[in-house]
Amino acid sequence: MAAVAEQVSVPGLRPATAGRNPWALAWRRLRRNRIALAALVLFLLIVVLSLAAPLYAHDIAHDGNVLSPNLNGTTLVHGKLTPVMQQGGGVLKLGEAPIGPTWDLSHYFLGADGIGRDVAGLLLYGGRASLQIGVSSAVICCVVATLVALVAGFFGGLTDTILSRLMDIIWAFPVYLLAISIATVLLTKSTGIQVGFLHVSATSLWTPTVIIGFIYVPYVYRPVRGQVLSVVNKEFVEAAIAQGASNVRLIFSEILPNVVSTVIVLMPLMIATTILTEAALSFLSVGVQPPNVSWGTIINNGQALLYTRPWVSLAPGIMIVLTVLSLNVLGDGVRDALDPRAKLRVG
Amino acid sequence: MRQIVSKAVRTRGGKAGLGSLAAFVVLALAAAGCGSSSPTTNKSSGTTTGHAGGTFTILANSAFGVADPAQNYTLEEWQLLIDSHDGLVTFAKVAGVAGTKIVPDLATSIPTPTNGGKTYVFNIRRGIKFSNGQTLKPSDFVTTFERQFTVPGPTSFYSGIVGASSCSTKGCNLAKSGGVVANNSNYTLTINLTAPDPELMDQLSLPFADVVPAGTSLKLTGNNVPPGTGPYMWKSYNPNTEAVLVRNPYFHVWNTVAQPAGNPNEIIEKYGLQVSSEVTQVLNGQADEVFDGDSIPSDQLTTLNSSQYTSQVHVNTLTADYYMALNTTRAPFNNLDARQAINYAANRAAYVKIYGGSSLAVPACQILPPNFPSYKPFCPYTSGAQTVWSGPDLTKAKALVKASGTAGQKVVVDSTNDQVGTALAEQMVSDLNAIGYKASTQLLTAANQYPYIQNSANAGTWNIAYSAWFQDYPAPSDFLNVLLGCGTIHKNSDASPNIAEFCDPAIQKLINEAEADEATNPSQAASLWTQVDHMDTQQAAWVDLFNPKQIDVLAKTVQGYKWNPQWYILIDQLWLNK
Amino acid sequence: MLTFIVRRTLWTVVVMFVITVLVFFIFFKTPGVDPARAIAGRNPSPQVLAEVRAQLGLNRPLWVQYGVMMKKIFITRDLVSYSNQGTRVVQEIFAAAPATLSLVFGASLIWIVMALVMGVAAAQLRGRIYDPILMILALIGVSTPVFWLGQVVNLITQSSLHSNVFKWLPPLGYTSFTTSPLLWFEGLIFPWITLSILYIGFYARVLRANLLEIQNEDYIRTARAKGLSERRVLVRHSLRTSMITFVSLFGLDFGALVGGGAILTEVVYGIHGVGFLTYQSLTNLDLPTIIAVVIYGAFFIVLANALVDIGYAWLDPRVRPT
Repeated sequence: MAAVAEQVSVPGLRPATAGRNPWALAWRRLRRNRIALAALVLFLLIVVLSLAAPLYAHDIAHDGNVLSPNLNGTTLVHGKLTPVMQQGGGVLKLGEAPIGPTWDLSHYFLGADGIGRDVAGLLLYGGRASLQIGVSSAVICCVVATLVALVAGFFGGLTDTILSRLMDIIWAFPVYLLAISIATVLLTKSTGIQVGFLHVSATSLWTPTVIIGFIYVPYVYRPVRGQVLSVVNKEFVEAAIAQGASNVRLIFSEILPNVVSTVIVLMPLMIATTILTEAALSFLSVGVQPPNVSWGTIINNGQALLYTRPWVSLAPGIMIVLTVLSLNVLGDGVRDALDPRAKLRVG
Repeated sequence: MRQIVSKAVRTRGGKAGLGSLAAFVVLALAAAGCGSSSPTTNKSSGTTTGHAGGTFTILANSAFGVADPAQNYTLEEWQLLIDSHDGLVTFAKVAGVAGTKIVPDLATSIPTPTNGGKTYVFNIRRGIKFSNGQTLKPSDFVTTFERQFTVPGPTSFYSGIVGASSCSTKGCNLAKSGGVVANNSNYTLTINLTAPDPELMDQLSLPFADVVPAGTSLKLTGNNVPPGTGPYMWKSYNPNTEAVLVRNPYFHVWNTVAQPAGNPNEIIEKYGLQVSSEVTQVLNGQADEVFDGDSIPSDQLTTLNSSQYTSQVHVNTLTADYYMALNTTRAPFNNLDARQAINYAANRAAYVKIYGGSSLAVPACQILPPNFPSYKPFCPYTSGAQTVWSGPDLTKAKALVKASGTAGQKVVVDSTNDQVGTALAEQMVSDLNAIGYKASTQLLTAANQYPYIQNSANAGTWNIAYSAWFQDYPAPSDFLNVLLGCGTIHKNSDASPNIAEFCDPAIQKLINEAEADEATNPSQAASLWTQVDHMDTQQAAWVDLFNPKQIDVLAKTVQGYKWNPQWYILIDQLWLNK
Repeated sequence: MLTFIVRRTLWTVVVMFVITVLVFFIFFKTPGVDPARAIAGRNPSPQVLAEVRAQLGLNRPLWVQYGVMMKKIFITRDLVSYSNQGTRVVQEIFAAAPATLSLVFGASLIWIVMALVMGVAAAQLRGRIYDPILMILALIGVSTPVFWLGQVVNLITQSSLHSNVFKWLPPLGYTSFTTSPLLWFEGLIFPWITLSILYIGFYARVLRANLLEIQNEDYIRTARAKGLSERRVLVRHSLRTSMITFVSLFGLDFGALVGGGAILTEVVYGIHGVGFLTYQSLTNLDLPTIIAVVIYGAFFIVLANALVDIGYAWLDPRVRPT
């Protein structure tokens, strides 16, 4: 976890007050960074593949349903009808082994999982869930953290102390303990959680999203608050105050634009982190719930098949590594682009 | 795909897996032609000392929890306790069907009740000593029974004893109340009941009632096992490392069927191993027995099929049910048509595959498991008219859903979040969706799920709940009355084993009649139980999925495998051929 | 410094209080976790349940129960687990600690050495192809889920190549050093490597960035100007300064791992340490163990913080208290 802590302590991005449009400059720099660009392309490719999951399920491999068990199903292997689950041999006939990789795109390319589902199809759907949770929890986390940091940094004093202490407490809470506790409670309430007008059912993807987003708020809060503090006393803010701008206007028109680049630098790294966390929670059975699958749940299912059908666990793991790696490389690129003279280059 | 049937369920949820009754086909033995455990050799190994010696090592994933025999309710400890302790009576410690017979142990014979079935007078054997050298006296039993109430445990087994109702964890005096009266001079023990109980002998055969010395603390002894009278004694027990049993120097054989001499000099059970490591070590000959046969990962199961291991693997049928209880208190399954519909739709072949295939589970429709007293094959929910399940009947199922008017309703399947539980739930969701429901899952940790689904306060959150039941002792009431009787619904309690909250007064009347007939007219009772079983099945309070089988994996050097339907593998009867 | 440590400790006590209270509350608000239920066997009568509940003190107000539990952890040290009335929780944690300590010590040794080598090499080889290669390797380490890596390692060492290359490898699980030093070592080699990969990647990146940054600092330039050899400059000055970040990070990570943070590695390799205990207590919803583990973990985090502060002062004279 410290990995995150340090990743986000990338300090002092310059306030975007330079003459030319800083965003255009940054984009130009990013475009010149070939490694970062390659990472971006890889990431987008994974996103597109995952979005194409229904296409695969309907038109390439199956009749639309890859997420349901298919224990009594059959498939074609070298043109021969073969059961997806095969009973063990010998005298004892113990166990049912799922079909291994056929390397035939439309017939169980990577084989089946423990309940006869097409691993390739699961991989695509799993990617959808993992990416959705990763991106949305990172967004939630960054938005909440930025808002809290703006309030804390702007008002200072007691507000700052209370908010910062609150963040310290969340920070100190063991991640898995918090996530598992919350998940356990939520799952026993079929009604799910009600946050204002928002309703989240217990098995929805939003449950792990909210939990993960919440856990990492302090990790983003700290650097952003630092940034707010450094901006708050700048001349242009004081000028705005002299003009009689309201607090809301000050926060959102004057301060926010100057901390947004910090948040943007953090974003890819946060997505990388949230994807890893989602995978870990799903691996421990408290993340994504059926009927949804994620890369983490596939690895969890593959555990019991590791030695005979290793691709069930290998494939989603490779996807996670590729995704997270591309995000980390991209994160480096974005940071270099937005702040080429950053003194400390970390994480 | 049958990994991780959580031990928590068996040891804490209380689904203590215990053996069962009747004609057991010891499949693996027959198949493998392993003659070492045929009935003829059983007899000789009971008394012979030719096989004595060595240390027998069992590997287990987790320990069995608290060791006090008055509280522990797990097969894991019971398999060892039967080697170190004795009760008044016990299930015969032999292989096969004969092992369901109750024989006198520390009593000289099984008494005939007097006083209208309420009074039992046992003659206690003389000259038996506890492993601490103390001589067994009838008064030791008084303490033993009092401990049932002062140590929190499943006291409901003995709550019929006179005076039990005034016992609590604070104190208990069954001698004064006249419930359990010892006469140390003529070596008799009298047990008085408030009402006749045809299952008393079964209950007295459970290790809860195994005798401990009179001086034993009335409080929980924690991880210390008080001295017993069996061939072994507990040298140590640490739930994080191991349990060690060594020979009891004071033991002598008094009834070879009840308590034969054991073979190994020492029995060690090691804890904290991954199940896959247990199997690897046993196959490598580094240890002798895998305890967690029911959670061997699927990939390892398939490797066990290799012919080199055939003689080391034993598979036996269990008298147990894996089932989905239908919540009869709310829509849609307060409707009989809807309940029958899902019973027709459930693809039991798929559930069997989840558990490891047809060699490890047999599809079931009815409540009583095969080879159980009063069992008569019955399966109304199959395609074609047969007594065994052959396939789902979706046409009938859909017609019933239509008739019930519940189509399109939301249905929540509650299950455990381990691999088997999750897979069973997903298959059930798929079966439900196939007949027009909108199904979803609610997966809880095993420790949480079993109490959760029992509590009526949570009944509003689920419609179908996965559970499993292993018999306590071979009596039909243990399934039919405990799991589907009106008397076991306790509102707002985590201990309400009738999960479906199914209560049919007409069936309950038959249950009561059967229980009353048990002592006076056993054959009438037996046929009543059969009737109850079939009526319950037709009322479809459950979707019965399958009856599981047990795998035992032993090291190559281990001989003398005996499968007892009540205690499963008889550990002290094995010998090491080194 | 002392006041700092005292303040930090007090604050941690507050945090621990909040966390334990929260866990306590969440536990009792979760349906289906009546601890009496687990103890009373499988078909207890309502009266028996009520009695067990009374005996466990579960019918008392929550804050009294909380107080009793704290007393049993800190003063009498006889808190027993809900899932096994014979198991004392505090003792159980101390029994699990050696496995975790063995795992974390070994792994941190590997990651310090490897990160130092990789970080320094990358910084020294800046502008050559080795630098980006090393850094991509480091990033791959940072991007790999530890539980999956563990599985892959198991696949190779316990199955694919177990019959030849890894024949010497014992089955998964932990053997204590006192039982057999050899088995202890053999059983931990791969868990060590697995756990350290993430940290090697991360620390190497931090170190490289630090070293590059420091190269432009005045005192390094001065050192060079004095004619000191590059190696001497690196070891005596750059590395020493970089060690400040390194050590403080290390302290915190080490504390968190010893406190149960190695949960995934312990679960995948079946090492019954504190992380595994945490995982088990969470799946069993065993409140006494959960609470005790949280407190234990927090203790190590405080300790690590204090040690980091001392180390900081030792390495950087500017913050040495006067």
